[in-house]
Amino acid sequence: MKASAGTYESSDCNITVQYNDTTLINVESIVFEQFGDQIKEVIIQTLTTHNLINVKVDCFDKGALDYTIKSRLETALKRGGYIE
Amino acid sequence: MTKSQPTTSKKIINSFDEFFTLIPIKINKNISFHHHLRNGDYVLNMVLDFYLKEKVQDINLFPSAIFPKYTKILDLLRNNQINNITTNYLNGPVADYITNNGLKGTLKMQTHGGRARSILEGKNNIDIAYIAAPYTDNQGNAIGYKGLNKCGSLGYAIADSEQAKIVVLVTDHITNEIVKDPEIKAENVDYIIKVDSIGDNLGIVSGTTNITTNPIGVKIAKNTSTLLNELGLIKNGFSFQSGAGGASLRVTKDVKDIMLTNNIKASFFSGGITKYHVEMLEEGLVEKLYDVQCFDIEAIDSMAKNSHHHPISASIYANPANPNRVIKDLDIVILGATEIDYDFNVNVTTDSHQNLIGGSGGHSDTASEAKVTVIVSPLIKGRIPVIKKRVTTITTLGENVDCFVTERGIAINPKRTDLIKKLEHTSLKIISIEELAKLAYSYTGIPKETKTTTNQIGVIEDRTYNIIDKLYQK
Amino acid sequence: MSSRSYLFIPGNTPSMLQNLDVFDADTVIIDFEDSVVSFDKDAARILVRNFLEKFDFTTTEIYIRINDATSEFFTEDVASTKDLNITGYVLPKALPDHILKLNNLTDKLIIPIIETPMAVLRMEDIAKLPNISGLLLGAEDLTKDLNIRRTLEATEILYTRSKLVLVSSAYNIDSIDTPWVDKDNLDGLTEDTLNAKNLGFTSKCAIHPNHIEVINTAFTPNELEVLEAKRIVKKALESTKGAFSLDGKMVDLPIIEKAKKTIEKAKKYNLL
Repeated sequence: MKASAGTYESSDCNITVQYNDTTLINVESIVFEQFGDQIKEVIIQTLTTHNLINVKVDCFDKGALDYTIKSRLETALKRGGYIE
Repeated sequence: MTKSQPTTSKKIINSFDEFFTLIPIKINKNISFHHHLRNGDYVLNMVLDFYLKEKVQDINLFPSAIFPKYTKILDLLRNNQINNITTNYLNGPVADYITNNGLKGTLKMQTHGGRARSILEGKNNIDIAYIAAPYTDNQGNAIGYKGLNKCGSLGYAIADSEQAKIVVLVTDHITNEIVKDPEIKAENVDYIIKVDSIGDNLGIVSGTTNITTNPIGVKIAKNTSTLLNELGLIKNGFSFQSGAGGASLRVTKDVKDIMLTNNIKASFFSGGITKYHVEMLEEGLVEKLYDVQCFDIEAIDSMAKNSHHHPISASIYANPANPNRVIKDLDIVILGATEIDYDFNVNVTTDSHQNLIGGSGGHSDTASEAKVTVIVSPLIKGRIPVIKKRVTTITTLGENVDCFVTERGIAINPKRTDLIKKLEHTSLKIISIEELAKLAYSYTGIPKETKTTTNQIGVIEDRTYNIIDKLYQK
Repeated sequence: MSSRSYLFIPGNTPSMLQNLDVFDADTVIIDFEDSVVSFDKDAARILVRNFLEKFDFTTTEIYIRINDATSEFFTEDVASTKDLNITGYVLPKALPDHILKLNNLTDKLIIPIIETPMAVLRMEDIAKLPNISGLLLGAEDLTKDLNIRRTLEATEILYTRSKLVLVSSAYNIDSIDTPWVDKDNLDGLTEDTLNAKNLGFTSKCAIHPNHIEVINTAFTPNELEVLEAKRIVKKALESTKGAFSLDGKMVDLPIIEKAKKTIEKAKKYNLL
């Protein structure tokens, strides 16, 4: 199921998850040059921790720190029924 | 809207078309403007429209600053009609364009004091100075604090008026009376062109700010005023300058509270003047205001009525070659930063994405001369730590920067052993700038370096004429 | 020992969470209740959990204001946070059996919010329950319940304030005054805070970081108080009697104990 969490406020990010044949991660960020890879890494790690591979993750970031990205992703996954 | 106007002066011309028949447009390529009408200026675009339409080539532009509304510069750049631009500050579409495309010649960034010096010493060679003048008599004695489109101090235009080959006042108000104590003197003025309007009131005082209530800004200001107090700097007769941004104004407010508690009167405030500075003058908390730029209507009106509120030229403000410059007596200056590095070099010219967003203005001048220079900033801006190993662009050299105050700690330049000693027993959190950076990274992670091209588009020229850094195309 | 200031911050706002220690509040109350919309209660829990697992706070005490014990969110609020490094919970609309319910789920400290008429009546019953570290007055909700206006003079809550101070003092817990809700009116905040201090409150809570300085200043012993406390403690050490005279005034055990507390506070706030 498609689900989202998080806002477009400064220091937050909005994450949408939905089913996909393969893992697909899209990141848009106001600090893409400086932290784009880091954001992707956090998303990958979180998916791995929960053993998820068939998910498309869209992240719209306004400078969120790692714990926030992890949190918004986990919340979206929970809402979408991907994790408990 | 023209009523009967005095036409007894030979200097007064009725239109730009007439002007350009007298002074052919394609001959004089080095032209200058001031930015006192800020984002409400009509004159720069009005004049440059002629250069655009006449397809004048290889223009060397000397505007003291470039605001977002100065879009004719953008048009000229797109048409490749501009050679060099020499300025102290730029922001908006013109800045964005130059960041991404460069320009035919060089973008030279100067300081307010350095620009005045360059003009007076003949290094900035100006052919025509177009000076928007809110209020002038028919000989060209002009002031900025009267008239429908008043802007206050005309400080950045004075060197131009004294040195340019041709000086043109562009005004919408010519008075019959003789203007006393003019900022622009008639003896320097060659032509006066009357137009319907030189600007838009609202735009003139645009971009000004109020005291911040953002909790982080409040904390930074509190740390700063406490620091100043513990260093014993807030004492009778002290002098002070702060920027006009919300955080700097908050510092000014906190300093005011300390002054009230301890019955302290300052000798002067200098630089850009706001209603908050005016209030303190009128409340007897400071002797004099030395005003090189007015940021709001209260400052403009104060200049008109308070005899201790003095308009000053950029040279008297900050020209290092002027022995009477005001800032040689400056005790404290509070300044901002987009970036600062381990050597305390400060950047206010580009942001951390390498876009041109500003320039020294008076930053580098005041930092060079003030007894204590304090940079205030949040530790982190939008996940980017403000402290870097090396700033993207050096606007102000670290040797002139003494303290860096954030909401999470304060770093003192190791050179200032005198300040460090005074703070031995402080309850403020004083740590090294490297530790402060580490603290930032513990939140943000370490950012990847942003790439730059090697295509040089400009230089940063210090008030000493040294090139202290270069600008590159994004 | 008392916290002078208790700052509420919204639990689903990352920019506030990651700056919670910047505002100099002695205690921060991370809020899951009024500042978090119902459809984001889950987001707040996960955000705060990840935040507190990543960051440690040594100089700031942390509580979480969970949703009230009758709400659908209560159980999960506690379950998802009780193993985190927090001092305790702030419980809205608290009544004795709510607190017992919470005590059954966790050993952490509890600050009940006195914000209903019944809670005002049963204040003592509440204060004597296990793990209570303070009582917090919620005058906005209380006056809404009673259909009366909140004023700066605050005569409408005088009885409640006084009772709360007495009960808290008798049971040796913090008395936390209601927050000042006019964000930009710092003169009003100052007057309200001094009123609370003069009634005997040990602390005050705040809904905006810019209010903390005023509150901390009001509840910090001033130079004179610290000086006098030092003199009392010094003389108490030198004296062989339980009570003595200082400056013509009688000093006995309760006053000596109060002076010792003042010195402790002074040490804590770096005044010595």
